[in-house]
Amino acid sequence: MGSAFDTFRKLGPAAFVLKAIIFVIVADVLLLAFILLRRTYRKWYFANRDARMLAIRQQWDALISGEIPFAAWRTKTSERELIEAMVLDAYEVANPEESARLLKFMRASGLVEKRILEARHHHGWRRHKALVALARTRAPEGIRALAEGLRDRDSETRLAALRGLGRMACPEAAKEILNWVDDAGLVVPVLPLQSALIQTCAERPQELLPHLHHADKPVREVLGRVLGEVATPLLGSELMRFADDDLPELRAAAARGLSYLNALEAVNILSELAKDTVWFVRLRAMVSLGGFCHPTALPILVQGLTDSNRLVRLRAAEGLVDFKTELLPIFEKVVALQDQYGLHAFLTALENAGLQASLVAAIKNRNSGMETNETLLEVLRTANLSTPPPAPEENTLVKAAAQS
Amino acid sequence: MIHLLDWANHALFYYYLASNLAYLMMLVIAFRTSAAHLRHLESIRLDWIKDSPMVPPVSLLVPAHNEEQSICTALRNLLDLDYPELEIIVINDGSTDNTLQIMQKEFRLRAVRAVYVPQVVSAPVRGLYRSDVDMRLLVIDKSPAGSKADAVNAGLNAAASPYVCVVDADSVLERDALLRIMVPVLSDPNRVVAAGGIVRVLNGSQIEAGRIRRVRLARKSIEVIQVVEYLRAFLIGREAWARGNMLMIVSGAFGVFRTDLVRAIGGYRRSAIGEDFDLVARLHRHLLNNHADYRIAFVPDPVCWTEVPSDLRSLARQRARWQKGLLDVLWPNRDMLFRPRYGRIGWLALPYLWIFELLAPVIEITGFASVLLAALFGALSWTFSLQFVLFGYGFATVISIGSVLQEELTYKRYNDWQDVARLVSYCFLEHFPYRQMHMIWRLQGLWQYLRGDMAWRPMKRLGQESVDADKTGPSPLPAG
Repeated sequence: MGSAFDTFRKLGPAAFVLKAIIFVIVADVLLLAFILLRRTYRKWYFANRDARMLAIRQQWDALISGEIPFAAWRTKTSERELIEAMVLDAYEVANPEESARLLKFMRASGLVEKRILEARHHHGWRRHKALVALARTRAPEGIRALAEGLRDRDSETRLAALRGLGRMACPEAAKEILNWVDDAGLVVPVLPLQSALIQTCAERPQELLPHLHHADKPVREVLGRVLGEVATPLLGSELMRFADDDLPELRAAAARGLSYLNALEAVNILSELAKDTVWFVRLRAMVSLGGFCHPTALPILVQGLTDSNRLVRLRAAEGLVDFKTELLPIFEKVVALQDQYGLHAFLTALENAGLQASLVAAIKNRNSGMETNETLLEVLRTANLSTPPPAPEENTLVKAAAQS
Repeated sequence: MIHLLDWANHALFYYYLASNLAYLMMLVIAFRTSAAHLRHLESIRLDWIKDSPMVPPVSLLVPAHNEEQSICTALRNLLDLDYPELEIIVINDGSTDNTLQIMQKEFRLRAVRAVYVPQVVSAPVRGLYRSDVDMRLLVIDKSPAGSKADAVNAGLNAAASPYVCVVDADSVLERDALLRIMVPVLSDPNRVVAAGGIVRVLNGSQIEAGRIRRVRLARKSIEVIQVVEYLRAFLIGREAWARGNMLMIVSGAFGVFRTDLVRAIGGYRRSAIGEDFDLVARLHRHLLNNHADYRIAFVPDPVCWTEVPSDLRSLARQRARWQKGLLDVLWPNRDMLFRPRYGRIGWLALPYLWIFELLAPVIEITGFASVLLAALFGALSWTFSLQFVLFGYGFATVISIGSVLQEELTYKRYNDWQDVARLVSYCFLEHFPYRQMHMIWRLQGLWQYLRGDMAWRPMKRLGQESVDADKTGPSPLPAG
C-alpha cells in the first residue's frame, strides 16, 4: 500500500485543485446563504418578540395578579421564557413591595418550581441556565437545588451554583456552601468562593468558626480571608485566639476583627501583628490601628512608615494623617525616621487628605527655632531628606504614647 | 532550472494549502469556542460580578502623547467605566501640545507626591498630579522617550492595583468592557495572568461625546478591508490560539495584566517595536521557565474601538512596523523554538508565527517571482496556475466569509443590511490587489529591520472628532 503522499501525487495537482475549487465555491455559497437566512429569521424573530413583549406589558397587572390564568401561557415555552425574563428583570430593580408581589407571582405560577426542577434534572448548560434563573429569583426554596449544583461534574455549573448561592445572601446558603467545601475541598477558584461566602456570611459570621477549626489548610486560608472581611464586634474575643495562628490569613482576620474591640485591649496584640512576617497581616494591623485614632497606636503607625511593603506604608500614613490635630509632632517623627519612602507615603496621605496647608500653618505658627521650622518646610516642599533632620521635639502626646 | 521552478511552484501551492488549512482549523475551533462562550455569557450576570466584594482593583494605564484634541473626552469616558475599583493613570509622555494644561484645567489637577517606586525602567518623571474632580485620576508627566513602552512603564511604577489595563488614549472603550475583560480573571485568578479584548474598527461609526452612538461600516475600501482583517484576526485567530492557551498577542490598545508579573519581567521593553507582542512573549517565557500553571485569556465581547489608517501611506507604514515588531520579537526568542520546556508555545505557536506570519511575504513574493520565471521559460502549466489561483482565492474567501459569519453568529455589531453586504463583498475583493500590496509592505518592514531602520513613522490620524460624523443626521460621514 502506497503512502498518503503517493496517493496524493497520483491524483495529480490539477485534478485535486479542481475538486478543491468546487469545494470552496460550494462552501462560499453555503456560508452566504446561511448568513442571509439567519438574518431574515432573526429579523422575523425579534419583530415577533417585540410585539409579544408589548402585548404582555399592556396586560402586566392582570398577568402578575393572576387574572390571566397561568395555564394560558405556562405550557407555551417561548411565552413562558419571555414572561420569566421580563419578570426577573423587573424583580431586580423593584422596591420591596413590588418584589414581594413578583415573587408571589413566580411561586404561584410555578416558575420557581419549574426552575428548581430543571436545576435538579438537567445537565450541562441547561442546568447552568436554570441555576442562574433560580438565583435571580432569590427564592429560599431554591437553595437546596443550588446546593446540589455545587456537586455537578462541570466546573462552570459549579461556579454558577456558587454565584447563585452568594446571590441569596443568607445564612442558609452559607451553610450549604460551607458543608460542601468541607466535603469536596477547594474544587472551584478561590475568588468566587470567597465572594459567595462574604455575601452569605455577612449576616451571621459565626457560621464560619466551627469550619475554621477542622478545615484543611487551603480551605482554612479561604475561610480566614472571609472571616477577615465579615468579622463583627460579636466575634472580637473569638478572633483574638487567631492572632497567633499558623495561617497568615487567620492572623489577618484577627487583625481586622480586633479593630472592633476597645483600643486599649487591642493595641498590644495589633502591635505584635504589625511586626508580622507576612505583609497583608501587617497591612490589616495598620488599618485597624489607624482606625482607632488613639495615641497608643501612634508609635506603631510611625514605625509602619518604614515597612518594606508600599501598601503597608500607605495605610500607616493614612492612619497617621487621621490624627489631624497632632500633625506637626507626627511630621517631626516622620522626618526623624530618615526614610525617604516613608516620607513619601506620609506626604501622599497628607495631600490626599488635603491637609498640607494646615501642616504648613502649624509649622509657621510654632514658637521654636526658625531654622528647624525652615528645615521642616523645606522637607515638606521638596519631599527630600538630604538635609539633616531636625531633632524632634518631644510632644507630650507622642511621648505618652511611646511610654505606654 | 525548469525542474527547480516547477518544484518551487509546487512548494508554493503546498504552502498556501497548509496556511489556509491552518486557518480553517482555527475557524472551526473559533466557532466551537464562541458557542461555548455565548452559553457561558448567559450564566454570567455582570451586575453580580460588579457587586461582588472581591473584585480586584484595576489601574488603567493611558499613555498620551499630544492628545490635546481628545484627552478630556477620553478620560471622562474612562472615569465613567462600569467597574467598582478603578484607578486611572494617564502618562503624559512629553507632549509638546497642551495635553497636560488641558487636563489640569478640566480635571483640576494638583501636584502630589503619589507613591512612585521606579521598579521598572522609564524616562524621568517631571511631576505627578491628582485630580480634585475625581480622586481616581492620577497624571504622570514624564520626559519623552519616544516609545509607548516607556510611558507604560512609568504608569506601572505608580500603579497601586494588582491588575493593570493598558488602553490607548485615542481608543473608545464600551462602558462594560473592563468588567467583561475581567470575567476570566475573576473566575480563575490563580491561573489567568492576562486577558485581551477585541479591538474593532472605529472608522465610519457615529460617535457622540466620545461614545459610540451607532456602529456603521466605514465607506473607504481600505478601511472596510481592515474591518475584515480585524474580524479574522480577533474572532478567529486569537479565539483559536487562546483556546489552546497559546495566545501570543494581547492587543496594546486594550489588555489586562497581572501587575506583579509585568513588574517581575521588567515591564515593557522600551526598545521593542511591538511592545504588546514582546510583553506577552516574555510573559510566556518567564512563566514557562518557572513551570507555572497559567492561562492568557482572550475575551471576545469586551470591545475597544480604535481608528485604523484611512490612507494607503499610513497603512503601509503601520503594516511595515507590525512586521518589524514581529521579527523584533521572534528573533530574540528563537531559542524557545522546539524546546520541550516551552511546550506548545515552542512547538506550535512560535513556528506558526515564523512560517506563516514572518516569512509569508518572503515566501509569497518569491513564489510570484518563480511563477513569472516559469512563465518566461515556458515551464508553466497554465491550467494548473489558473486552478491554483482559483483555489487559493476561493479558500481564502471561505476563511474571510467565515469570520463575517462568526461575527453574525456571535456579537453582530453591524446591524445594517448594507454593512453586512459590503463586508461580504470585500471578502471577495480583498485578495487583489490589496493582498499583494500588503505583502510588499510587510517585506519592506523586514528589509527596514534588517537595515537597522527602526524609525517610527507617524500615521495620519483623523482623531475622534473627525470620525465623529454627523451627530444628528441619520447616516454618518465617511471617516476619510
